[in-house]
Amino acid sequence: MTMKRFLSKAEMAGLTVGFILVLVVLPALNAFVPSSSPFHVTDFALSLCGKYLCYAVLALSIDLLWGYTGLLSLGQCLFFALGGYALGMYLMLMIGPRGQYHAALPDFMVFLEFPKRFPATGGLPPHWVPFRHFWFAAAAVVWVPALVALVFGFLAFRSRIKGVYFSILTQALTYAACLMFFRNDFTFGGNNGLTDFKDILGHDINAPATRRALFLASGLLLLAAYALCRWLTTTRFGKIQRAIRDSENRVLFSGYATAHFKLFVFVLAAVLASLGGALFVPQVGIINPSEMAPDKSIEAVVWVSVGGRGTLVGPILGAVGVNWLKSFVTHSAPEYWLYILGGLFIVMTLFFPKGIVGIPEQVRALRRRWLSTRTGAAPVEPGPAAIAHSKAEP
Amino acid sequence: MTVTGRTLLMSDHSSAICPRTGAAAEWRLVLLAAVLLTSTTVRGVEPRALLLQALATNEVSAQISLVQRLTAAQDPMVAQALAAWRQGGVFLLDGPAGAKIPFLLDVVTDAAGKARGLQIATGEALKDAAGQPMLFLASDLTPVDTTAKLRKAIKTTLDLLALSSPNPNIRRDAAAKLGLEQNPDYLPYFRAHLDTEKVARVRKALHEAIALTQVNADDADVRLAAVKTLGELRSIAALDLLQRIEANAKANSSSPAPELVAAAHDAAVKIQSYIARGNFIGTCFRGLSLSSVLLVAALGLAITFGLMGIINMAHGEMIMIGAYTAYVCQNFFIKWFGQGTRGFDFYFVAALLSSFGTAGFIGLVLERGIIRFLYRRPLESLLATWGVSLLLQQLMRSIFGAANVQVYSPSWLSGNVTYQDVIFAHNRIFVIGFAIGVVALTWLLLTRTALGLQVRAVMQNRPMASCLGVRTDRVNMATFAFGSGLAGMAGACLAQIGNIGPSLGQSYIVDCFMVVVLGGVGNLAGTVSAALGIGVSDQVLQPHLGAVLGKITVLAAIILFLQWRPAGLFETRSRSLEG
Amino acid sequence: MAKEFILTLEGVNKTFDGFQAISDLNFYMDAGELRTIIGPNGAGKSTMLDLITGRTRPDSGTIEFGKATDLTRLNEYQINRLGIGRKFQTPSVYTDHTVFENILLSLPDTRSVLGTLFSRVTPRQRERIHGILTLIGLEEKAESKAGALAHGQKQWLEIGMLLAQNAKLLLVDEPAAGMTDEETERTGELLLSLAGRHSLIVIEHDMAFVRQIASKVTVLHQGSILCEGTVEEVQNNEKVVEVYLGRKHEPKRHL
Repeated sequence: MTMKRFLSKAEMAGLTVGFILVLVVLPALNAFVPSSSPFHVTDFALSLCGKYLCYAVLALSIDLLWGYTGLLSLGQCLFFALGGYALGMYLMLMIGPRGQYHAALPDFMVFLEFPKRFPATGGLPPHWVPFRHFWFAAAAVVWVPALVALVFGFLAFRSRIKGVYFSILTQALTYAACLMFFRNDFTFGGNNGLTDFKDILGHDINAPATRRALFLASGLLLLAAYALCRWLTTTRFGKIQRAIRDSENRVLFSGYATAHFKLFVFVLAAVLASLGGALFVPQVGIINPSEMAPDKSIEAVVWVSVGGRGTLVGPILGAVGVNWLKSFVTHSAPEYWLYILGGLFIVMTLFFPKGIVGIPEQVRALRRRWLSTRTGAAPVEPGPAAIAHSKAEP
Repeated sequence: MTVTGRTLLMSDHSSAICPRTGAAAEWRLVLLAAVLLTSTTVRGVEPRALLLQALATNEVSAQISLVQRLTAAQDPMVAQALAAWRQGGVFLLDGPAGAKIPFLLDVVTDAAGKARGLQIATGEALKDAAGQPMLFLASDLTPVDTTAKLRKAIKTTLDLLALSSPNPNIRRDAAAKLGLEQNPDYLPYFRAHLDTEKVARVRKALHEAIALTQVNADDADVRLAAVKTLGELRSIAALDLLQRIEANAKANSSSPAPELVAAAHDAAVKIQSYIARGNFIGTCFRGLSLSSVLLVAALGLAITFGLMGIINMAHGEMIMIGAYTAYVCQNFFIKWFGQGTRGFDFYFVAALLSSFGTAGFIGLVLERGIIRFLYRRPLESLLATWGVSLLLQQLMRSIFGAANVQVYSPSWLSGNVTYQDVIFAHNRIFVIGFAIGVVALTWLLLTRTALGLQVRAVMQNRPMASCLGVRTDRVNMATFAFGSGLAGMAGACLAQIGNIGPSLGQSYIVDCFMVVVLGGVGNLAGTVSAALGIGVSDQVLQPHLGAVLGKITVLAAIILFLQWRPAGLFETRSRSLEG
Repeated sequence: MAKEFILTLEGVNKTFDGFQAISDLNFYMDAGELRTIIGPNGAGKSTMLDLITGRTRPDSGTIEFGKATDLTRLNEYQINRLGIGRKFQTPSVYTDHTVFENILLSLPDTRSVLGTLFSRVTPRQRERIHGILTLIGLEEKAESKAGALAHGQKQWLEIGMLLAQNAKLLLVDEPAAGMTDEETERTGELLLSLAGRHSLIVIEHDMAFVRQIASKVTVLHQGSILCEGTVEEVQNNEKVVEVYLGRKHEPKRHL
């Protein structure tokens, strides 16, 4: 118990340092250090980091489901992309006549002859109209994925779909959505998605200051998501969450409607992922259906698995680390990336089930075992943990 | 003569297809029929001799009657020469003793545009005194004269020649084509062929051709009967025509023959429902063949899932590996036997076996190397196998390139069968039969062999089976290898239907998962019904909703279905399902 | 009916895959009673508990709790909230939580999603949890993880969790399985001390244990009741000797 508290203190200290670094130092290096200096952080690098932060929020949402509730969702990127699309629609309408066709409509709508299809609104599909307002788009970032998660989760948990079945069905869900968004007549830009954004809230989306603001927003979102998840783990709700993961039947037979709890977590995770996606899109400048392809979601699961599920630092470390590695490898040797990613899947699940965060503990356990076999008798300085360990595993 | 013609017509009444008629307009045709009858009586004369005779004559009427007697000729030279004659491609060479030698020019020309002359009588090249082939330039020669009337006769004869082809399919196609021309001149020939024709589908086509032609007859009774016949015959070709009759009648309200219009309407309705039925059967057939591929692919997944409770995400890649194995096999056979040879045709058998072997072996390695360490962690085994699938995809991309490759089907898989105007492709029929075979084999393996007994024992109660001396790890290994092998064979079959690429497995894996989810855990009957249900409904929905919406509807239906039966189609022993 | 039962099963049938697990079962139980159910493997004992707790639904028949509360229409957590607690055959505790938390999560006070988000442990709850821990003898282990407990301690913890639920009716499935003789005896004492305040149904194979705790024994066979009575009556019943007692020397099932 003391061990655990100590760890979480270290964790808290590390986090504080990390967040100061991310929220203060990086933007400052970008804004105030001249570009000739080796300490200058380029706009591109800052955007890249912002992207990682959004991925980290996505990873947290997966961990909330998988690590804490035992629900492995293979469709979490659907919600990430939904958030991205919701904000993307607003950004699309802010382009105005600056598109290729110099029309009031987004380019793809002109290209697909939407004015013929929706003559009443001058070519804009009716459900696009309110997205002219930022507040509506921002609200949609929350309620659209929440609604999708609510309906799907209600059906899934009501019929007690769990384990691999749940994983497969969430994958099917995102697959189906991906197919839908690929269609041109689904009115979301089809294959190409939404791109070529110009302004956000009246500011040039490519201006360094806007980029810094978006980066800061991503960092704050991650901080808020982390704080929320941290708080959840301390509540009785968080305890029940983990109890469901370990023994769902016991929870059910203790008078809890486990389906409601799972539904709540599922919707909450969907909203978190969606918020991440909404900040992701203005920073990368594009959202298209490939973001919700099944392999994206499962790749995100690997970030969590690499970092260490069932912890809150793990997914963040995993998301940033794996994506940094990906940027590096796809830049220098793209053909090896899938080998590395595939290898990560296998190596992490086989040898490091607790992820990077769990490695120190694994090393300690190994060292203890090695010492005890070496001396033959009891370990030289058995700490309390070692005794507990040998008791648990006779 | 007239009496003979009359009898000919009367004899046709027995078939109930040819309309009863005594109209004067028909007499000209009757005469022609009589000519035909005489020509058949003198069939003993060589057709080529008749042709030479026609070429030698100067009198047009004699030429026409001679040409008309050639309609049953099976000599390819006759057809070739007639076609050439019509286009002014038959020439005469002054032979010894004033004889004229008719010839045509070879299609192959030399650099100067000159070609060899081919004698119509012998088919051999004309040679000069030195025995060298003589070369001619088409523009230097004067073709044998034709008149418009003669050219028409030649064309008719050429068209009708196909009716005498030894290949029944060509005869059928010729009858269908000629019928659509609605040329009353052909009627006697149709009837004559009907007398001798034995093949049912050609007879049907001939009846159809007669009725189609008679739709334009002057006699109202004949027309009416023809329209009715077309309805009875479910003539798809006639639908357009019948609908036009109806439309015309609507256009001018003072319709001359309300009875005819009504009959045309009836017939059109019959034909339409026939087409709808045909489409339905075709859709079911395609659905069935898709189901079969799904079934073979998902069977392995269902068995391993039932046995070990883990989902193998790399299962799709086993399909992909099977397909690539078929590709490699094909390349070897092309190297050894050459493409299109009899030896090459057998490559598919070898491909099926080696696909099973290769995929099975890789499955075995996968099980021993990774999966056996993860039996108690189903969600993590799902991730690890996904990693394997990425590795395998990238491996194939490195070896075979990212572009799709194609496999040539052996000749016995590339044709099709038509039954009641529905086309059944050979490869699809094969896939269905193959799936039935695989299911039967799996069923026998599970119920009749020692391994099957052990598999079922482990499925039902792993610890108990283990206590009773079943080596569960071996059972796992064998089952996993078998399941992967099945997927490999499915891949070899898929290679016959579409392209092969590194991401081939990905496009089937979601469907495979749906089969497993819907079918219930490790249940053969459930897997079969689920594969059938998904495959057929996919094909049935596609024409109405499009491929994407169809797929989405199926997915939604599955999720809703699970509301009603959470454990899939076949619930297995709920008592022992813990958790 | 003159007497009021806490649990009534009438004409209950349940079939799995053509296997008749429960056939025309009639079962009545008084409040405060400690009833032991015995029967050979596959007699339908666990299925009967599944039916009462809503884990499976009967094909036909009625199951009533107290005065006309139809259990067949409710699901697991609703039935549990009525006051029916169940202990599983294999100990089912939250291994990653402390013993204290295990009991805490079993308290019936806050069971809604929003409630659990904002509730805190009150001094009264803390007191009650420690009371229960003392009763089941795990007071010292309050802060250790439940996963680290010995097998017998897990069984007691699970019983403690049922007590925390304020269950009126406790369904206990093979509590003595895998226990040492000493542990078995302590378990028996614990169950006996609960009878009266709670009603208990105990399923057990171990005849020595049954003799220790049983006042009234019901013998199940092929999904219906073969006979009921005291241990002596049952043991001397010819039918029981025929179908069951022949197997009584069968070794205890270990899991």
